Amino acid sequence: MNRLRSGGVPRFIVRRLLLGLLVLILVSFVVFAATQALPGDPARAILGRSATPASLAALRKVLHLDRPVIDQYLTWIAGLLHGNLGSSLAAQEPVTKLLAPKLVNSAVLVLISAVVSIPLSIAIGSWAALKREKIFDTVSSNLLLVLAALPEFVVGVVLVILFATTVFNVLPGVSQIPPGSRPWNDLSGLVLPVLTLVVAVAPYVARIMRASMIEVLESDYVEMARLKGLPERTVLVRHALPNALGPVFQVIALNLAYLAGGIVVVEYVFNYTGIGSALQDAVINHDLPVVQALAMLIAALYVALNLLADVGTIVVTPRLRTRL
Amino acid sequence: MAEVSRRQLFAGAAGLTVAGSLAAACGGKSTSSGTTPGQAAGKPKRGGNFRLGVTGGGSKDLFDGQNIITKPDQARLVSAFETLLLFDDNYQLTTNGLAESYTQDNPKQYTIHLRQGVEFQNGKTMTADDVIYSLQRIATKANGLTGFAATATIDVAGIKKLDKYTVRIPLKTPDATIPQTLASYTFCVVPVGYQAYPHGPQIGTGAYKLKSFTPGQQSVSVRNPNYWRTGEPHFDQITIIDFNDSTAQVNALLGGQIDAMTDLPASQVKVLQSRNMHALISKTGGWLPLCMAIDIPPFDDVRVRQAMRLIVDRPLIIEQVLSGYGFTGNDLYAPFDPGFDHALPQRTQNISEAKSLLKSAGHSKLAFDLHTTNGAAGMVELATVFQTQAQAAGVTVNVHNDPNYYGNQYLKLGFSVDFWGTRSYLNQVQQGSLPNSPYNETHWPPKHGKGSNFESLYSQALAETDIGKRIEIEHEMQALEYELGGYIIPFFNDLIDGYADNVRGLRPSKGTLNLDSFGHGYRTIWFG
Repeated sequence: MNRLRSGGVPRFIVRRLLLGLLVLILVSFVVFAATQALPGDPARAILGRSATPASLAALRKVLHLDRPVIDQYLTWIAGLLHGNLGSSLAAQEPVTKLLAPKLVNSAVLVLISAVVSIPLSIAIGSWAALKREKIFDTVSSNLLLVLAALPEFVVGVVLVILFATTVFNVLPGVSQIPPGSRPWNDLSGLVLPVLTLVVAVAPYVARIMRASMIEVLESDYVEMARLKGLPERTVLVRHALPNALGPVFQVIALNLAYLAGGIVVVEYVFNYTGIGSALQDAVINHDLPVVQALAMLIAALYVALNLLADVGTIVVTPRLRTRL
Repeated sequence: MAEVSRRQLFAGAAGLTVAGSLAAACGGKSTSSGTTPGQAAGKPKRGGNFRLGVTGGGSKDLFDGQNIITKPDQARLVSAFETLLLFDDNYQLTTNGLAESYTQDNPKQYTIHLRQGVEFQNGKTMTADDVIYSLQRIATKANGLTGFAATATIDVAGIKKLDKYTVRIPLKTPDATIPQTLASYTFCVVPVGYQAYPHGPQIGTGAYKLKSFTPGQQSVSVRNPNYWRTGEPHFDQITIIDFNDSTAQVNALLGGQIDAMTDLPASQVKVLQSRNMHALISKTGGWLPLCMAIDIPPFDDVRVRQAMRLIVDRPLIIEQVLSGYGFTGNDLYAPFDPGFDHALPQRTQNISEAKSLLKSAGHSKLAFDLHTTNGAAGMVELATVFQTQAQAAGVTVNVHNDPNYYGNQYLKLGFSVDFWGTRSYLNQVQQGSLPNSPYNETHWPPKHGKGSNFESLYSQALAETDIGKRIEIEHEMQALEYELGGYIIPFFNDLIDGYADNVRGLRPSKGTLNLDSFGHGYRTIWFG
């Protein structure tokens, strides 16, 4: 056991990757069982008001519902491992072909939101900690608390009213991405969705950053550094910031993972063509292969982001590194 | 085993799921400015890209000249394809379509005279061969098209081309509803050899030719230069965009990203008007019934059914479920049919009478389930409002809102909510009130005793060529349904659509389709 535990960061990553794989296998059980356990007969649910005995039998065959559950699971997981996610029941297209452009759209949205929100919230949090109980700190803390309490769809709708429909008419209120187009072809359409996601995520990160920074600034080593006569700038950048970032990495990772799932609401509000709206559409249509594929994808993203956060935390925290 | 395509599986999908409108608060000044919906139309101008936002679609959207599943499918179908006969804005049959005239030669034979000089979008002339192919395509069960059930009386193999522009349609049994059927939007004329998207080119006689289509997202169509009507259409291009929900749709309209939208939530009418936009409010024959199965206890007792019909406060339901956008129903459907019996007394709420009926039936303490789903706007609200009103008569109603309602128990329930669009009386009977109807929720007609002659009355009506006599039979049928039937029809709901100030030519229509039958296939509307 000791041998396994030693070996530094690379070993740690390998170990965590294996654990992640185990988690994904467990998730695949849950996803499959959950979609299978949807009330009623999936074929009936799909055909809806137009279910006739002949069409039901035919659809059951297409969906392999006439085979034992274990058999169905193995077929699905084998396809998954080969990168074959099956065919969408509603669109009659391979799931990969259906989701690929939407995945790009959503990834662009999440990435831009992350790139904007993370430095911004770290800066706000740090500055608030430095100016503790001064005007900037009081205003930003209260404002962030209010924003953190608002659900994204409220933020989205308020932004639309402000910038698209009622107060100013400067930005598009919906961000439909026409087929064959890419989100960056029309940057104005990205502004409001990104802003909504930034408002959804930044408050948490900024508040954690502020708390963490305050703790670090009060620590002995920062006092020591100051007593040594180091310039304040060096104290902050070299000594305080890296130590304060450790806990923040975890929160950033959780929030990014949340973004990947939470964009469902934002994409809905802005009619944004991404995996969020694809998931919603698939749930309505009981399009099981699409639901399963997206659930696995989002689960994999959670695992990956958590891994990255742990590695990040370890890299900025030497005392954790030596314990590996 | 060849895999059956999902599209083919939608056999007879007459019910389209209209997304329940999420009327999220959207702000806006709520001044009630008096905008005039029917603003001076002026002379039509040519040009522009008309962008329409439609809810209720998704990745299962299809493009087929004779089939629909979703509302965007309807919006797209009428842009490229046309029917032989047409309903006007008052839901009266006209010969303004692809047929110049038709005659009923005898109860079992129709002759259709086609308009000459109509070209498909690829330049091919429309002839009798195309009409025969179109009817055969609908009547082929394996194609799974919406109109299949309505072809039951047509002797499809016997349809004959008399000359290039004349088609004779023989019937297996008399059917006076053939003209109405030929005017249904799922009976469009397609060229010989036509196949649905993506298996073949989408070539119709309609005003716009399909350029690109992505299910669940959008379609773009361009003006048909060969269009047969002179001076129409007016737009250069039309773009039909799928929306997840009405909030985004309203935002897009207010922000100028679309020019018109379907199914405006009632709460947003004033918002639009305050922004110098317009709501098109159309009184339609669409209805949401509470359906009692006449062979399932306690509804197998006619006194219970009558009591339920006396429990409903119709004006209050219209206020609470439709925000006032609808007119009162009298438990009978097809209000625009010339055969609709307006003489039957209007039912009103009468709790004491309901109580005494229930008492005489031995049900002074009655409790049962009412099943509903979010299949069309208002279905869930109707169930809960009825639940409240039933309490007054000592009846306990448990409302079950089941997302899989249409998949699981539909048509097998004792008491349920459903939705229907505008239809003529006999066409509606064929769809929902006969033993072999595809959607008979009430299990009407009775198998024995009074009312069991309903089906034979229906056959008599179909065979009757004298309109006055046919209406007499239809009145007899309605009297039976009024007295013994299983439907509670509290109202006929309006369709409310929204459009920008520069869109001209839209008028309220009594038909099933939104936005004045989508601007009559996008040809009678233009930008002012």
